[in-house]
Amino acid sequence: MNRPGRMAAVVIGAALLAFPRRFRRRHGAALRQAAEDRLTKAPAGGRRTPLLRLLLNLLATGFSERVADARERWAWPERGEATGRARMGFPGAATMHLRQALRLFWRQPLFTATAVLTLALGIGASLAILTVANAVLLRPLSYADADRLVMIWSDNPHENRPRNPVSPADFLDYRSATASFSAMEAMYSFLTPVGLQTGAGPEMIQAFVVTPGTFRLLGREAEVGRTFRNGETGVAVLSHAFWQTRFGGDPGVVGRKITMDGQVGEVVGVMPPDFVFPYRTMLGPGGFTRAVTADVWLPLEFRGPRMIDARGAMMRNVHYLAAIGRLEPGRSIEQARADLATVARNLAQAYPDTNKGWGATVVPLYEQTVGDVRPALLLLLVGVGVLMLTSCVNVANLVLARSAARQRELALRSALGASRFRLVLQVLTETLVLSSAGALVALFVVGWGIRALVALAPPEIPRIESVRPDATVLVAALAAAVVAGLLAGLVPALATTRADIRGTLQEGSRGTIGGRHRRTRAILVVAEVSLAVVLSIGAVLLGRSFLRLLDVDPGFRPDHLLTMQMNVPPRFNTADLRRQFYDDFFQRLETLPGVSAVGGTTRLPLGSTNVSTQVIVEGRALDPARLPEVEFRRALRRYFRAMGIPVLQGRDFDERDTAAAPPVAVINQAAARRLFSGEDPVGKRVQLGSTPGPVWMTIVGVVGDVRHVSLDTEPAPELYVCAVQNPPVAPFIVLRAQGDPAALAAAVRARAREIDRDLPIFDVRTMEQLRSESMARRRFLALLALLFGATALALASAGVYGVMALSVAERTQEIGVRLALGARPAQMWALVVRQGLTLIAAGVCVGLVLARLTVPLMASQLFGIDAADPLTLVLVPIVLVGVALLACYVPARRAMRVDPLTALRCE
Amino acid sequence: MVYHRRDSDPLDFLPLTPVAFEILLSLAEGDQHGYSIMRAVEQRTGGAIEVHAGTLYRAINRLLSQGLVVEIDERPAPEFDDERRRYYHVTPLGLDVLSAEARRLESQVLAARARRLLPSRRGEG
Repeated sequence: MNRPGRMAAVVIGAALLAFPRRFRRRHGAALRQAAEDRLTKAPAGGRRTPLLRLLLNLLATGFSERVADARERWAWPERGEATGRARMGFPGAATMHLRQALRLFWRQPLFTATAVLTLALGIGASLAILTVANAVLLRPLSYADADRLVMIWSDNPHENRPRNPVSPADFLDYRSATASFSAMEAMYSFLTPVGLQTGAGPEMIQAFVVTPGTFRLLGREAEVGRTFRNGETGVAVLSHAFWQTRFGGDPGVVGRKITMDGQVGEVVGVMPPDFVFPYRTMLGPGGFTRAVTADVWLPLEFRGPRMIDARGAMMRNVHYLAAIGRLEPGRSIEQARADLATVARNLAQAYPDTNKGWGATVVPLYEQTVGDVRPALLLLLVGVGVLMLTSCVNVANLVLARSAARQRELALRSALGASRFRLVLQVLTETLVLSSAGALVALFVVGWGIRALVALAPPEIPRIESVRPDATVLVAALAAAVVAGLLAGLVPALATTRADIRGTLQEGSRGTIGGRHRRTRAILVVAEVSLAVVLSIGAVLLGRSFLRLLDVDPGFRPDHLLTMQMNVPPRFNTADLRRQFYDDFFQRLETLPGVSAVGGTTRLPLGSTNVSTQVIVEGRALDPARLPEVEFRRALRRYFRAMGIPVLQGRDFDERDTAAAPPVAVINQAAARRLFSGEDPVGKRVQLGSTPGPVWMTIVGVVGDVRHVSLDTEPAPELYVCAVQNPPVAPFIVLRAQGDPAALAAAVRARAREIDRDLPIFDVRTMEQLRSESMARRRFLALLALLFGATALALASAGVYGVMALSVAERTQEIGVRLALGARPAQMWALVVRQGLTLIAAGVCVGLVLARLTVPLMASQLFGIDAADPLTLVLVPIVLVGVALLACYVPARRAMRVDPLTALRCE
Repeated sequence: MVYHRRDSDPLDFLPLTPVAFEILLSLAEGDQHGYSIMRAVEQRTGGAIEVHAGTLYRAINRLLSQGLVVEIDERPAPEFDDERRRYYHVTPLGLDVLSAEARRLESQVLAARARRLLPSRRGEG
């Protein structure tokens, strides 16, 4: 007999599953037979089309049969169950539960709104933080096979310098002597401000100088034009944003010549908009500018005075390059690390003068980029998770409180034959509807929340700019809705349906609930209070860390200070010309009305990064590997006076320190301790390890320590040299104003233009701004934590209020009887308050234990305060108890005012 | 479980779906199994109506629950039979409903004809 193919049989068999089981049992075999007969007898040649059509037909009819079946069967499911004819099926039952839930919510708008808003808060906050965490932490970097990319740093454990930039000679040796990398490229470990010549004078833009192969290593192509070719010079690649703003997105820009700092370069390409390189966190500690995004990439050459020292050798003692590598396929990061360590050891043996004590290390690029912010973001995630949990507990409590009133209804249903499973399902459906509505509201909130987060977040957080709500938010919202619905529903569902039917039906007409039920709610309130305790303690600790930071003395007076960056025009290309330029420049600024002191430096505290140098103290024979390192700056004009840095010993730089005079230096207290440990440093002579030739500098003074990196970083040893003896090309200028420093900006620019129409002055900011920015991350964290804490506190108070109010309502009769028997109203008040206090106290105790366990996890985010800070641990519970007692107050008053007659009449 | 509703009014079942009508029409000629119903419908309509297995059995299921057809165990010609096959028999109620539906259709056709939407009966030959 001509049988249809095996495939047809399988297809038909599978398609039959579309039908309800009952239908399949009854007609399946016959249906299959008819279908096969039909296929067998179909005209030869074309069996595929009939099979396909059959398949579609089976699926369509199968599902419509299911729907019809469900509709017919579950229109009155309770009846069905009671008569034992029906079993619960999914779609019908769900529709019914849904309808019941919606009906209930419609009748109780206040309850519904409270629950939905509570959940929206929990879900919305979670989603917003989750979106940020996703964009910053989880999304891969926009480079090809980014997980094979690593950053390579020198490190010096003696000097506590992990991830130190690499010297040019070391980089070339790393590159040639290691086998673990398929490619290794170098770049300046900082952005370089360059003046782009435009029709309207110079515009300061940020250049990132990279070896030509960098783009290939990152695996990214230009969007327009091309990237660099090997060995190419005099060319530039533009960032997409810069191309848009500066050249209006004109594709004809490729091939155009642009002039930067007097040098002409040809634009060869434009990178795509999603290409970001470097991220701020990829730059080394030697960065100079405060800018964080590159406008243009320029090719790095291994020649010129930055690379080759006076003796004509590639520099090995100046560390300023960042290196990035791609791991050879099959090589692990540990292998690469070991490989590189071997090379560094060999270099230390070959060049002990420069390399002794220096090793090399490998950091995954991802770790390098987001590693710093991970603890803070994870902390926020935990916080938001606790918040979401609190909102779920709160809604669970609400549902439970409300279902108390429905106890009779549920008991009745149960008596009529609804299984416990069905009742649980009913309650779960309700909370799922609530949480879905909450998630929906949260979606509206979350876009706004993300915008607020991004606006508040410090810009140093990598990739924060690319945070925006996307499809994952929708998915997460859906998941959050389900999780929240289940979390909030499960406890009430189980608690409600466990109740004894007969007992409930026999109870008084009000349908009060049993003690067990009350206990469940009490446990929920205790949970809520304890979560609030944990969040509040965390919030207060972070808040106090931030306040401590505000109190930190930076070592200078940050008020009334205006700061700016400046590039000396290239035509002042000798030390003498620059000296003349600075004399002229500072004189013009000093004569500005409202200016009390002017100075400059090459490294501005809180506003730039660091560069360090080794120091040799005269008369002390020291192993080169053990030479102390100090941070190196130059001081221009009256820098210490302008900044308000006190001169503690000796003197400030002054007129005696001319270009011809013996070289002098000023050190800070930390350096005095480090280099001279107690001896008077004034008059001692030192030599900078990186300076070739024996140039001894006399220490003429000791100044106060300055918090340079950030307010929460201890001051490091610093050495200042006199800028007159060594005038820089790109200093920071500081002005101490008598009035508002920001008001001076325009006048300063005007004076600068008098010297040179094109004198680039940029990044003009007050020191207060810089100080505020340096605290942005802590402020952000503290703000969010306080927000979480306050929300949790509010939710917990609402929970306490709900439980106490209901409890008073339930005990109205009892209270009435007591009052009738002679109890005083105040005693009733105390009764309620005592009950509330028990709950709160239990919650606080549990919360303190939880806090004890969890708060140490956030130790890294704290400053100047212990995770077990006793004041916080005492204060927070007291405030919490106070607020929670307030929540008891209204129910307690109600208990006091119970009219015994009315209460008893209710019976 | 099939329950006949002998006291049902055939008009309660109208209008029939086209597929149900075709099935009853086929079964009016004699008991048939699923595939033969499909074939009968196609032959009668010259292939204009094609009934797929899913559609057919959904309709049969409905007709069964309405009591318009019943399954029969009796197999007319056992040697040609396949045990998976089921034969269907139209019930008296089914026949009543069929003729009621036919009358309803006829009245509609007559109404259409009265409005000259169809050629006259004579023209058909």
